[in-house]
Amino acid sequence: MIEPLYIKGDRWLHRLPAGYKLAALVIAGIGLFLVQNVWALAAAFALSCVLVWSTGVGAAACWRQVRGLVWVLAAIGVFAVVFQGWLSAAIVLLRIAALVGLALAVTLSTRSSDLIAICERALSPLDRLGWVDAGKVALALALTLRFVPEIWRHYQEIREAQAARGLARHPLALMVPLVVRTLKRAQQVAQAIDARGE
Amino acid sequence: MKTQDTVLIALFAALIVVLSLVPPIPLPAIPVPVTLQSLGVMLTGAMLGPVRGGLACSLYLLLAAIGLPVLPGGRGGLGVFFGPTGGFLFGMALGAFVTGWLARSWVRAPGESVRTVLAYGLACIAGGIGAVYLIGVPWLASVTQMGLGKAMMAMLVFIPGDLVKVAVASWVAWRVERVWPILRESP
Repeated sequence: MIEPLYIKGDRWLHRLPAGYKLAALVIAGIGLFLVQNVWALAAAFALSCVLVWSTGVGAAACWRQVRGLVWVLAAIGVFAVVFQGWLSAAIVLLRIAALVGLALAVTLSTRSSDLIAICERALSPLDRLGWVDAGKVALALALTLRFVPEIWRHYQEIREAQAARGLARHPLALMVPLVVRTLKRAQQVAQAIDARGE
Repeated sequence: MKTQDTVLIALFAALIVVLSLVPPIPLPAIPVPVTLQSLGVMLTGAMLGPVRGGLACSLYLLLAAIGLPVLPGGRGGLGVFFGPTGGFLFGMALGAFVTGWLARSWVRAPGESVRTVLAYGLACIAGGIGAVYLIGVPWLASVTQMGLGKAMMAMLVFIPGDLVKVAVASWVAWRVERVWPILRESP
């Protein structure tokens, strides 16, 4: 049910190691906040658009990702124009758009498994200190992905059962059985894992 | 941390995903559509307590960061974290922690109905609204350079919806605790 946003491809952005892309993103995130020149920011925005385009993303998928942001940006833009003038409005909007575009390009061109591998590597010093159990983190990630469709199905079942009894969408009547079912399932899964001697 | 705690963290992260993907509910007299994402955050904190609740929320954010479309509207990826509303995401992990911490210290005797619901309600307000906005609003103000006061004014439209979710979360937490009391035993 949850398909990753990653897009299959074999262009240079896809082949670049995930660690480099993340490092570049962090540096760009800091760098863009230091730049105040509107033309430099416009160039950065254009570059991020080219990078997103180079991942081979379709227009519809791209629009679904930025749709929510467009409204926020529009509100911020109107606000900035009224209180701070055109120039600073352009600076603020270009900076946000460039940063979000760069991050989107990384997301579209990097496999989730590669990013998980980076998380594991980042956690490994903490693992050696005994603060974090990397194996448990991996188990939790896998369990979450496994159980999203099941909890979604529970949600639908409860909704249908209540609709059949003439109850319209009612958050209180919906949430209690949903949470209790989730807790019950968690207990069963924990017992199953313990029984197998994890 | 026992196996059961790991499983609870994972399944509540999955529950937050499901609640985020449920279509937004239009409420009468509230101008913005209400997603159930923050309801999931408050419930996770109130049910699992500070440590497990905070970790479940962090796990949810990790799923979003590695590019899975688990945020409302099927969004995800690193772009959301760098955008103007990214602070509200980081605030959610803190929010679940604060909600859980206050719920654990204020809800003493789960039997008393009115006092319990009220204690859960106050914990959800402090964690689910207070802590989330504590990080989200300054973040919004600094990314957009709109000034703290104005950013706060802009967020006021979301407060009525948040209060409705606080009411739902505290009532549900109280009901669930009556049928499933084992949650209070561990961290």
